[in-house]
Amino acid sequence: MNENSNDPLEEYITAERDPHAEPIQRITGLMVQYYEVCKRELWFMSRGIDIDRGAANIRRGTHVDETSYRDKRRSFQVNGRIAIDVLDSGDIMEVKVSSKLEEPARLQLLYYLWYLDEILDIEREGVLAYPRERKRERVTLTAENRERIESVLRGVIGTVDRETPPTLEKKPVCEACLYQDLCWM
Amino acid sequence: MPNNHHIFADGDLRRSEDTLRIDRLDGEPKYLAIENLDSLYLHGQVTFNTRALGLLNEHGVPVHIFGWNDYYRGSYLPKRSHVSGNTVVEQVRTYDDRSRRLGIATDMIAASIHNMRANLRYYNTRGHKFTDVLDELSALKDRAQTESSVESLRGVEALARKAYYGCFDVILRDPFELTRREYNPPSNEANALLSFLNAMTYTTCVSAIRKTALDPTVGFMHEPGERRFTLSLDIADIFKPILADRVMFRLVNRQQLSFDDFESELDGCLLTEVGRATVLDEYEQTLDETVEHPRLSRHVSYKTLVQTDVYSLKKHVLTGEDYHPTERWW
Repeated sequence: MNENSNDPLEEYITAERDPHAEPIQRITGLMVQYYEVCKRELWFMSRGIDIDRGAANIRRGTHVDETSYRDKRRSFQVNGRIAIDVLDSGDIMEVKVSSKLEEPARLQLLYYLWYLDEILDIEREGVLAYPRERKRERVTLTAENRERIESVLRGVIGTVDRETPPTLEKKPVCEACLYQDLCWM
Repeated sequence: MPNNHHIFADGDLRRSEDTLRIDRLDGEPKYLAIENLDSLYLHGQVTFNTRALGLLNEHGVPVHIFGWNDYYRGSYLPKRSHVSGNTVVEQVRTYDDRSRRLGIATDMIAASIHNMRANLRYYNTRGHKFTDVLDELSALKDRAQTESSVESLRGVEALARKAYYGCFDVILRDPFELTRREYNPPSNEANALLSFLNAMTYTTCVSAIRKTALDPTVGFMHEPGERRFTLSLDIADIFKPILADRVMFRLVNRQQLSFDDFESELDGCLLTEVGRATVLDEYEQTLDETVEHPRLSRHVSYKTLVQTDVYSLKKHVLTGEDYHPTERWW
C-alpha cells in the first residue's frame, strides 16, 4: 500500500484507532459479506433501508447461530463495530448455515481478523464453521489475505459513499435475496 | 402469506396464552393463530383489552374497525417495526419538491386510468361497446402526462372516473345500477357495494404501507390535510379497479348478490350482514389470486402486488430510481 493521505482506508484506520473519535464510516462484518455478494444490497443496507426480518431464511440463520457450539464460544462486541465469537482456544469463529456463499463468509471472518490486528494489535486465527454440513475451515491473515481484505474494504467505503445505489443486475442470488421485492419493482 | 381475518360476531377478543381467543356471544369460542394473521377486521361489536392489543402489537398485526353501517371507523396500528427517520425525511422532501411530487402523482394517475381501461377492455370484448370511452380514457391518460400541477391532475382523474363509472350500468346486471356515484351515505345498492369494497381496498393499502417505514399521512396525489391517510388513498386509487370494481362486477353478474343482501335505511342503502360476508369472501379470495410477475419471475398474489407497489414508491423516494405503480399486465 503506498502512503497516500487520500486513501479512504488509511483515514478509516486512523479514525478507528482513536477510541474517542466518532467513526467516519462504520464497517460491519455483514457489510463486507454483502460487498462480495451484491454491492446494491450493501448500499441499501448501509442506508438503513428495511427488509422483512420475519423472512424464513433470516430466522433459520439466527437459529443456527444461536444453537451451535454455544458452550464453546463467547460473543463480544468490539468498539461497537464488529460482533465476534471467540472460542476457548482464542480463535475467532464465524458460524454459517451453509457453505453456499463461502467466499463472502471467508471475507467477513478475514475482516474480523484484520480489524483485531490492524486496529487493536491483537493477532488471532479464524475458524469458519458450517455446523449443518459438519465442515470447518481455518482462516489465517496472511500477507496475501491482508491485501485482499484491504482492497475489499476500499470497495465497501466507495460503495457506501455513492449517492445512488449501484445499478440493478440479475444474479443467481437474487432469487433468495430479501431485497428482491425492493430491487426489481 | 398470512391471511386477513374478519370477525362479524359480537363478542370478546382476548389474549389466551400466545394466541387470540374470540368469545362470541353466540356459539363456541374461536382461536386464531396469530402467526398466520396479516390484518384483523372487526365488523361486529367487539370488546378487547390491552393484553389482546399487546399480542397483536408483538406480531405487527393491524386491526381495522368497521362500525355500524359498514363505515370504516379507523385502525389500530401496531408499533412500527420499521422505524427509519431517513425514509420519512426523504418522503417529505419528495413531497415538497414540486416536480418530483408531480412526477409521482402523474405516474399514479396514469396507472389508475390504465387499470380502469383494462376493466372496460375486458367487457368490451364481451358484447359491450366501450370504444368511445376507451378512447376518451386513452386521451385523458395522455393528457395526465402533460399537466403541470397536482390540482389539474386531480381534475383529469375526476373526468376519467366519471367516464369510467358511466359504463357501470351497462356492465352491471339488472337490477343493479350505479346511475351516479354517491356516498355518505350510499344511495343505492351499487353505491353501497362500491363504498364497502373501496373501504376494503383502502385498508389493504394501510396494512401494506405499515410494513414499510413510509409515513401514511404524506401522500402525493391527495393533500396531506385530508382526514385520512392520504398515502393510502393514493395507492388505493391505483388498486380500486383491480380489487374493488372487478370484484363488484363478478359478484353482481354471477348473481352471488341480490337486492336481498341490502337494506335501505332512512336515507341510505347498506349491505346486510350476510351480504357483507359474501362480499368479503370474494374480496379475500381475490387478494389471494396470483399472477406471474415478469420482473420478479415468480407468482405473486394481488395482496403482494399492493405491497410491492409500496416498495417501489419507497425505493423511488430513497434512490430516485423509477416508480412503477401497478398497471394490470395480465
